[in-house]
Amino acid sequence: MVSLRRRVCAHHASQGGTEFGPLLRATAVFCALTTTLAVAAEKVDFDRDVRPILANKCYSCHGPDAKARQAGLRLDSFTGATADLESGQGKAVVPGKLKSSVLWQRIVAKDEGERMPPIDSNRKLTAQEKTLLQRWIENGARYQQHWAYRPIRRPTPPRSDSNWIRNPIDQFIHRRLEEEQLSPAPFASARTLIRRLSFDLTGLPPSYQAAQAFVENPGPEAYERKVAGLLTSPHYGERMAVRWLDLVRYADTAGYHGDLPMSVSPFRDYVIQAFNNNMPFDQFTREHLAGDQLAAQEGVASMDALRMRIASGYNRLSMMSGTMVAPEVNLAKYSAERVRNLSLVWMGATVGCTECHDHKFDPYTTEDFYSLASFFADIKEKAVYNQPGTVVSTPHAIGDWGPTISVPTPSQAAALRDLDAQIDALKQKLADSGRKADQNDATSLEAQLKELVTKRDSISKRVTITNVTVAVSPREMRILPRGNCMDKSGKVVQPAIPRYFGSVATSGRATRLDLAEWLVSRNNPLTSRVAMNRLWQLFFGRGLSPSLDDFGRQGVVPSHPELLDWLAAEFMASGWDIKHMVRLIVTSATYRQSSVSNAQQRDRDPYNMLLSRQSRFRLDAEFIRDNALSVSNLLVRKIGGRSVYPYQPAGYYAHLNFPKRKYPTSQGPDLWRRSLYTHWQRQYLHPSLMAFDAPTREECAVERPRSNTPLASLVLLNDPIYIEAARVFAERILNKGPADVRGRVTYAYRHALGRNPRAQELPALLALEKQYLDQFLHDRDAAGALIAVGARPVLAGLDSAELATWTGLARVMFNLHEFIIRE
Amino acid sequence: MLHSNNDAIRDQTRVLRRSFLRQSTVSVGAIALGTMLPGPSTAAAAEPPESSVPSTTGAIGCPHFVPKAKRVIHLYMAGGPSHLETFDYKPKLAELHGQPMPESLTKGQQLSQLLGQPLKCFAPQWPFKRCGESGQWINSRFPHLAALTDELCVVRSMQTEQINHDPAHTFFNTGNPFPGRPSIGAWLNYGLGNSARDLPDFVVLTSVGKGGQAQPIASRQWSAGFLPSRFQGVEFRSKGDQVLYLGSPPGINRKRQSQAIETIGQLDRLYQESHDNPETISRIAQYELAYRMQMSVPGLMDFSDEPRHTLDTYGTQGADGSFASNCLLARRMAERGVRFIQVYHRAWDHHGGIKKAMEITAKEVDQASAALIADLKSRGMLEDTLILFGGEFGRSPMSQGGSGRDHHILGYSYALCGGGIRGGASRGATDEFGYRAVDKITHIRDLHTTILYLMGIDHRRLSVKFQGLDVRLTGVEKAHVLKDILA
Repeated sequence: MVSLRRRVCAHHASQGGTEFGPLLRATAVFCALTTTLAVAAEKVDFDRDVRPILANKCYSCHGPDAKARQAGLRLDSFTGATADLESGQGKAVVPGKLKSSVLWQRIVAKDEGERMPPIDSNRKLTAQEKTLLQRWIENGARYQQHWAYRPIRRPTPPRSDSNWIRNPIDQFIHRRLEEEQLSPAPFASARTLIRRLSFDLTGLPPSYQAAQAFVENPGPEAYERKVAGLLTSPHYGERMAVRWLDLVRYADTAGYHGDLPMSVSPFRDYVIQAFNNNMPFDQFTREHLAGDQLAAQEGVASMDALRMRIASGYNRLSMMSGTMVAPEVNLAKYSAERVRNLSLVWMGATVGCTECHDHKFDPYTTEDFYSLASFFADIKEKAVYNQPGTVVSTPHAIGDWGPTISVPTPSQAAALRDLDAQIDALKQKLADSGRKADQNDATSLEAQLKELVTKRDSISKRVTITNVTVAVSPREMRILPRGNCMDKSGKVVQPAIPRYFGSVATSGRATRLDLAEWLVSRNNPLTSRVAMNRLWQLFFGRGLSPSLDDFGRQGVVPSHPELLDWLAAEFMASGWDIKHMVRLIVTSATYRQSSVSNAQQRDRDPYNMLLSRQSRFRLDAEFIRDNALSVSNLLVRKIGGRSVYPYQPAGYYAHLNFPKRKYPTSQGPDLWRRSLYTHWQRQYLHPSLMAFDAPTREECAVERPRSNTPLASLVLLNDPIYIEAARVFAERILNKGPADVRGRVTYAYRHALGRNPRAQELPALLALEKQYLDQFLHDRDAAGALIAVGARPVLAGLDSAELATWTGLARVMFNLHEFIIRE
Repeated sequence: MLHSNNDAIRDQTRVLRRSFLRQSTVSVGAIALGTMLPGPSTAAAAEPPESSVPSTTGAIGCPHFVPKAKRVIHLYMAGGPSHLETFDYKPKLAELHGQPMPESLTKGQQLSQLLGQPLKCFAPQWPFKRCGESGQWINSRFPHLAALTDELCVVRSMQTEQINHDPAHTFFNTGNPFPGRPSIGAWLNYGLGNSARDLPDFVVLTSVGKGGQAQPIASRQWSAGFLPSRFQGVEFRSKGDQVLYLGSPPGINRKRQSQAIETIGQLDRLYQESHDNPETISRIAQYELAYRMQMSVPGLMDFSDEPRHTLDTYGTQGADGSFASNCLLARRMAERGVRFIQVYHRAWDHHGGIKKAMEITAKEVDQASAALIADLKSRGMLEDTLILFGGEFGRSPMSQGGSGRDHHILGYSYALCGGGIRGGASRGATDEFGYRAVDKITHIRDLHTTILYLMGIDHRRLSVKFQGLDVRLTGVEKAHVLKDILA
């Protein structure tokens, strides 16, 4: 085992001279690593060891897709693999008999033309993969149902008497570490923990005072109190919303062609509130897919009904087109996107592949694809919106993007209620006065009425609208042969879940609500697993299965399948209680480990698959900017509302047209709102968000890469928001901090990074202070120019050279690697 | 291929770190800023000094084939230029002017703005000429390109699948109509690795014209999709900062910027030493590259070192954002090692008044495109620079509103030239209406396959796992290298 592992590392290191090729190489390392573990255990596990090989190397020609199948052979089932071959040459697999298995003969064939996989497939079996297949056949070639499709049973957490353990999560993690002869990392320092927890639960840093209070009294109860406190913070919902909005492709524009703005911000508010109110995930799911149906049910309170209608906007967040084309072209695009989104978000499944052909690896057919699409066939929509010449601007949107509802704020609602009452009363009076036939009275009443109506209209015009789902009689849904929307020869289908998972019990046509109920039924093997894997990722930087987007046979088997199942079972048993699961995860010992790795851990577990430590990763794009705003105290902590327009380079929208438009930079407090409220222009997402990998949300985005580019460096160095934040932070340092330079550096470090500067860090900072001060004293114009960046007025009474100097120092702190990561 | 993107990225960083540790015996910091200060920006001339950014190879390691081209310049005629007024000579269509198009051809086919209208033949609006020794037919509105006929290879049998601009651009750039896939330039750089020293390897330039409406163009067209974003195209702008956020803030001059970056580097290195965080190292390198870009880009965009006659040949006065100046800029970037340069001219959506519009738009691109080819040739760079000239689709042989043409996807033309292409060659043909490609039908993926091939890549062997699939630029259908047009 040791020698194998060495080989893995040698392989890794031998590629050290190249930066790229990682996707290929990473795979090799990963395969080799799992193989190492497997071979060591002397036990071949079909899920973990064999299926990935068959799926990657064989299924595309010998798998579920009947049209692509070669030689009539399918290797994705025991029956298929052990059937008589069409050629009459025997059987591909003879359990227990390696030499008689034609599969093996072909794998080891000397003749290139005979050997499998074929040379032109660009697929090869490694020696280790061959060994695994050999063992598997020798041991009886047992198949298992794919792990993600098996019913979720609640595994018993492995027993352990280690006092490291805090909750069942740790029991699973600890057992595996024991098996691998690794020990968990020590707990992170209180200072690190409070920062980690705060970023993970709210996307914001802790205040220095709060952190200090925790550091001075860091007991277990204090930690749990902290967790409880952060879970009730209104910023928790904002933090959780960010990745959910990626999944459901929330954006403020229609995406295609002119990429015109539409109004959907109430949907974002809905998501934030749902997380804050800890709406059970099953209800959250139902409201997304079928909020309109729920709202129409008897006995639903009007506030709930409004919320549900807003949630039904999920179906109407996808991209819409305004260019002329045959209706079927766009309708096919819209409906296919909904199937892709639904299947990725809830099922972790790539059903999108089956738009044109049966899935090559997973049990989904083209008929399943169009049957799923049928669920959405009742959504009222247009193939082409806003044809040229018909585009009308409103305060909320440019153009008409289908059914909307008004979502008044509480004060707007109150004002409207009040005005309505006054109008009704006046109308009554007017009717009465008419009977008395007093002309003067009537005229004055009419004038009053007119005034009230005008007032009412002016308020209702300002009320935010949002796209919603309105159901109409469903349009016919046919299977489109090879995805060709112009081909009307396919079979007509009805709404149905993928056949592999059975069917929904319903009388009459199945609805979106039926679909939602299936997704959140206790028997659905996917939804809860998929959701828990993604939740885990938020707190460890990767999922238990790294393939967040694919729980099919091409996905990666979880590192701790039993833990994932336990989490999934617990999630459902808790009533789909997200906060409960978050609390479990962040109070585990596993979560509280230090992220500093030692040589043994890096060697034995380079990807931290075994969780022998915490991970360290860059903050999401939104939270990097929020961090700078928070540290400088510029942040405006208002929750919800319409999207805002922070500074953006002039001319960035130059390539948008129909109509041409300018970026309407916000005024005042909206410049300093949290970044998730930034206007999300699908074709031209705010460049500083984009530089840190925020997705455009044109489609479902399951993962965000964490890239490291010169463009991102330029954003932190030069984007005016970071300069303004640095200056406002500098004002704070000069005003609130001590008068000496060292004291100021310490003050700044505490607030920016949550710690004191180390002795070896001081010289660089002190030197820069001296250089800058010297220069700015001699160049007051430059100092004045630097501190004038941003709309926030400069605090009076500070020396411009000193303020510019500390702006420069604060800017350096905002550019430190430590500033943009969570440890 | 069992790994997700994020792991891969982590892996890259780790690998990068190892390579650093091996390569640098002195502290990385010691060589940082000293080497970053601006050197001569004529990159082709000087040997690049030792840099703390390691030169890198791409995902494919060694090229699969001997590369014929080192770089690609894509003159992207956005909006859909009419093949019938550029490269596809259809005398029969002129004869049939005003006659209904045969229904047998058009039945059940996609239309855009002609939906539900009578479909009538519309004669080519400008005459064609037989040009060069190869005798290719080129429209009379392109006299400069016509003079280079024997350098050009015209494919007259292109087909695409998307009939509206936005998805059609996405399809042309990424091989897929859905947003979220990497574009050609990102694939090339992912496959081949780093090439330019202080510039991005994939650059986008855009211009608008006077001959019609400027179709929108989405930044998705140069996106890295699911690949790490350092492979994405970087747009160079003619107004404001040439690259977004390239300019230091007011009051921060070059000296203060370099002092800031130096301090950031020092502190990050201290962090790296105490935390052993490999990503920090890679980040320091990115700051150094950012600084080099800050130093080198202004010089790149300043044409004052170009002789007068060069500016005249291209037809530009300076970097003013016109197509002509972008062509010259493309050459300057090519010299500095940029691998994939896309020069969009957003002016070809001629639904109406196509006669006049063609005249104007052709004039905007003809001289500069030809100047670029000739300039590269005179510098000995044409042989390893692949040039593409064309749009996301063609235009209908049917008239729209009596004076224009609708979008058209079943047959259109593309011109290629330079690196590995046989000058004077032709490929394929449309029917006599110019409606449907009938001979040697050439799909976009065949063009992609050929581009990759000329750059040394087997299209089947450049793939990345995404959502359960080994995704390739060329998709899952069979795709072919266009062998008949290779030199």
